[in-house]
Amino acid sequence: MEKMSRVTTALGSSSISGRTMFCHLDAPANAISVCRDATQVVVAGRNIFKIYALEEEQFVEKLNLRVGRKPSLNFSCADVMWHQMEENLLATAATNGAVVTWNLGKPSRNKQEQLFTEHKRTVNKVCFHPTEVYMLLSGSQDGYMKCFDLRKKESVSTFSGQSESVRDVQFSMKDYFTFAASFENGNVQLWDIRRPDRYERMFTAHTGPVFCCDWHPDDRGWLATGGRDKMVKVWDMTTNRAKEIFCVQTIASVARVKWRPERKWHLATCSMMVDHNIYVWDVRRPFIPFATFEEHKDVTTGIVWRHQHDPHFLLSGSKDSTLYQHMFKDASRPVDRANPEGLCFGLFGDLAFAAKESLISGDASRKPYPGGDRRYPIFFFKKPNPTEQFAHVSSALSVFESSVESRHMDWLVKTARLYLLSGKPFAELCDHNAKVAKELNRPQVSTTWTMLRIMFSDPANLSTPGPNHIGKLGTLPLMNSFSMKEMGTGLVAEGRLERSKGESRQDNLHLEPGNSLINSNNDENEETEGSEGQAEYMFGDAELDDDDLYSMEHENHAAEEQEYTLPQEAFPLRHEIMDNPSAPEHLQQDKADSPHASGNEAEVMCLTPIESFSLISISQPLFSPHLPAQFFCPVVREMLIHYAEQGDVQMAVSVLIVLGDRIRKEIDDLTQEHWYTSYIDLLQRLELWNVSNEVIKLSTCSAITCLNQTSTTLHVNCSNCKRPMSNRGWICDRCHQCASVCAVCHHVVKGLFVWCQGCSHGGHLEHVMNWLKSSSHCPAGCGHLCEYT
Amino acid sequence: MVSVINTVDTSHEDMIHDAQMDYYGTRLATCSSDRSVKIFDVKNGGQILVADLRGHEGPVWQVAWAHPMYGNILASCSYDRKVIIWKEENNSWEKMYEYTGHDSSVNSVCWGPYDFGLILACGSSDGAISLLTFSGDQQWEIKKINNAHTIGCNAVSWAPAVVPGSLIDQPSGQKPNYIKRFVSGGCDNLVKLWKEEDGQWKEDQKLEAHSDWVRDVGWAPSIGLPSSTIASCSQDGRVFIWTCDDPSGNTWTAKLLHKFSDVVWHVSWSITGNILAVSGGDNKVTLWKESADGQWACISDINKGQGAVSNEQ
Repeated sequence: MEKMSRVTTALGSSSISGRTMFCHLDAPANAISVCRDATQVVVAGRNIFKIYALEEEQFVEKLNLRVGRKPSLNFSCADVMWHQMEENLLATAATNGAVVTWNLGKPSRNKQEQLFTEHKRTVNKVCFHPTEVYMLLSGSQDGYMKCFDLRKKESVSTFSGQSESVRDVQFSMKDYFTFAASFENGNVQLWDIRRPDRYERMFTAHTGPVFCCDWHPDDRGWLATGGRDKMVKVWDMTTNRAKEIFCVQTIASVARVKWRPERKWHLATCSMMVDHNIYVWDVRRPFIPFATFEEHKDVTTGIVWRHQHDPHFLLSGSKDSTLYQHMFKDASRPVDRANPEGLCFGLFGDLAFAAKESLISGDASRKPYPGGDRRYPIFFFKKPNPTEQFAHVSSALSVFESSVESRHMDWLVKTARLYLLSGKPFAELCDHNAKVAKELNRPQVSTTWTMLRIMFSDPANLSTPGPNHIGKLGTLPLMNSFSMKEMGTGLVAEGRLERSKGESRQDNLHLEPGNSLINSNNDENEETEGSEGQAEYMFGDAELDDDDLYSMEHENHAAEEQEYTLPQEAFPLRHEIMDNPSAPEHLQQDKADSPHASGNEAEVMCLTPIESFSLISISQPLFSPHLPAQFFCPVVREMLIHYAEQGDVQMAVSVLIVLGDRIRKEIDDLTQEHWYTSYIDLLQRLELWNVSNEVIKLSTCSAITCLNQTSTTLHVNCSNCKRPMSNRGWICDRCHQCASVCAVCHHVVKGLFVWCQGCSHGGHLEHVMNWLKSSSHCPAGCGHLCEYT
Repeated sequence: MVSVINTVDTSHEDMIHDAQMDYYGTRLATCSSDRSVKIFDVKNGGQILVADLRGHEGPVWQVAWAHPMYGNILASCSYDRKVIIWKEENNSWEKMYEYTGHDSSVNSVCWGPYDFGLILACGSSDGAISLLTFSGDQQWEIKKINNAHTIGCNAVSWAPAVVPGSLIDQPSGQKPNYIKRFVSGGCDNLVKLWKEEDGQWKEDQKLEAHSDWVRDVGWAPSIGLPSSTIASCSQDGRVFIWTCDDPSGNTWTAKLLHKFSDVVWHVSWSITGNILAVSGGDNKVTLWKESADGQWACISDINKGQGAVSNEQ
């Protein structure tokens, strides 16, 4: 669409309009040149020499200069130049060494005017003097440059570069007498046209051949050179020594370089091989092309700006036998594709963010892109458009800390370190973890742990210190109601939750008796969902309990022989609970031990749900024999899934491990495995190897536990010949001895084998331990003072 | 809520196009138009330049760290049509592999989950996506999806190895047979999902919602999440969150996270996959979190101006 639109540029009296277009040539082009008024273009190559008119919609072939049945080699052109003052005058450089001028005004078919055959080898370049009509300069592979006066039959002067082949010659725009020549050996020379004996100045511009050079059109004394070393350099020639002021690195060797009209910093390049694109660079930003034209399918050989004051039209000829007119607005802009910002979430929730410096410094004048897409709108304006600015840009990179996420990771690390997952009774683990969470200021998690303890603990485990304390524990019916979804309630609860002092190390969770009835009633009526039958039943218990509490005489039942003396281990006592005597009896008995139960520390845990969706209320006496722990499983399962969804897979896994069999069957294996792998991955990323190992060890998923077995390889050397054991057997296949013989009993060790890393002797762990009690020398008799670590 | 903890002096000579933290969060790789890739040690809030990798001949668009179980490996892609895979051996970085199979600028590189081995996806302006798989012994196996996106591919991102849906119907105790999947975004305004079937890469889904070039796509890590989630952002200023709860992975629903007033360049998921960072042309990085009712809310934003802090909502 865009390509079809037309652009008209007003240039004083004349005007140029057109669009991106191309035409097929009969043969590959070597060079192109436009006439002064930008209406015609000449294309020259080994087998082509034609003039095309540049019309609005298309190229129209005007004239074929290659005439005759068997055209002479003079028509085989390496270069062509259209005179910028004399519109009928052209010059070509022939591959056979001839310099030919052509007069389009000739009436005959053959327009050849003059023929200079002074060069011995291919002429690479011809150049008319910008202001002097009859002066022509040529540069040849033979190393010479010649200046011709077109009114004479021979060259007027010859310049010997004393270097290798001349690749390019260009008259200066600034100094009437000066021209620059570039050489295959990397040098650039400046000559005064009046002094053929010696160059004025020479410097090495590139490593390897300098294929091209171009003077800046605005007579700044800037010279751009391009070489095989893939670089374009801009030299300030006004100082005594040529000074490199810019250096652009392109992708391939630079064949042509042309300054862009009316744009101080821009130049176009094309390359000699590999890369078929034409690039327009802003020399101040040497890394990324300002614009590219990607139409050609083969190497671009000639580029020329259509008009010397119009920056929007570029003509190019290529080895793919096409001639293109490129509209600048249709160029692709690599920068548009470029991401100006880098953003990355770090492991610890930190954010690395890189952005353009101007953005960082809060460029107020910057406006959003019109239409939100193109950075550099097209410029139809006569004045340079500020939006075409393509100045050097740098980025600033900052690492931000977002408290939301980094606190999360902070928790994760600390929690992972501090959590206890095994090795203690269930209740203690829960308490410990609740405490850890609380200290990290995560009341919700802390409360969850506490709840878990309450849900899954059995009376035996509550009574840690011994029978004397039983009475103080759980004498009141526990009433609590909490919402799994709205764990924010935990916040409320946390504030009121106090750790019990004195006798018990565990939190006693009571509801004040006075409120309990009301609360539980309310809870019951409003909030119990789906489990009414059971809840109702429990509630009955609770009532009964309360009645017992206040109305009944305390009888001291001799019930001391109950399971309270069982070892404090976290094992499910569901069935034993079922076997217990009925609750009222319990309570009566308990009361006896603790006559001041109602005044007992009055620890209160009151969880008031803020929102009541998906709410489950539980009201039961702790000792209720009618409420198996399984009752809680669906709730806990939901809770774990909730935590995992929130990204806290740590909680899910920790609870899974601590609860063990209590919950495992409730959650399908694959979900568990997924949680485990996610958590282990996280731990390993955080380099918490020990924790990760512990989790692997404690996990019950077979897929996870085998993780630890897969990555450990032991390399064993034979204890006799000291060579690596190659097969898995006990016998070394080199010395045919049994490798693992106990140095004490001389039997083959199967199972635990311990050996000294110094002398490599060893044996049964037990034997070696015994041996070392009496002697510190090696039991094998090698004399080594063995050390076992 | 957001504060600058470290401003890294990269001494890049031109625009930085990407910055990536490594697996352990201790190293930061940056790449720039100036053709270089730099690696910084960013432990303890400091920054030490540990490597300056030169090898590209054009602006380097993106870098990606491989999982450390394969060593310290970094991939970079550039305007020069090359993908270079760098490896650190004995404290010096060397080219491990150079891939030159694209005909145009390579815009995006992304390593697959470690479970798949060393596998790199590369998206290019030539419209193709290449998949390079290390087959050991300096050998890389190349698979190429031609015409993945017309006009060009801008971003690629792998699905986590554990896609919940793919786990179902697996006999327990047996390693699930992972399906390799990734998502790509391109200049055809499309987000596409790709799946490997019998060793061939096939287009799995085509997600249409954006009205301009898709600039970045990010498949969320699946830590604890029950569904697959993808974020995509575009030149049209929109950020979409795509989710799929369907185990077969065929039904994706789009939810508009936000419409920004300017191009959105990047989306990046937090490690746990529940916070999304979005950076756009409107001078801000915003952090987004999904609330309990499934709505995405901006939880904070970073104004690049001062690194200043403000909270929205």
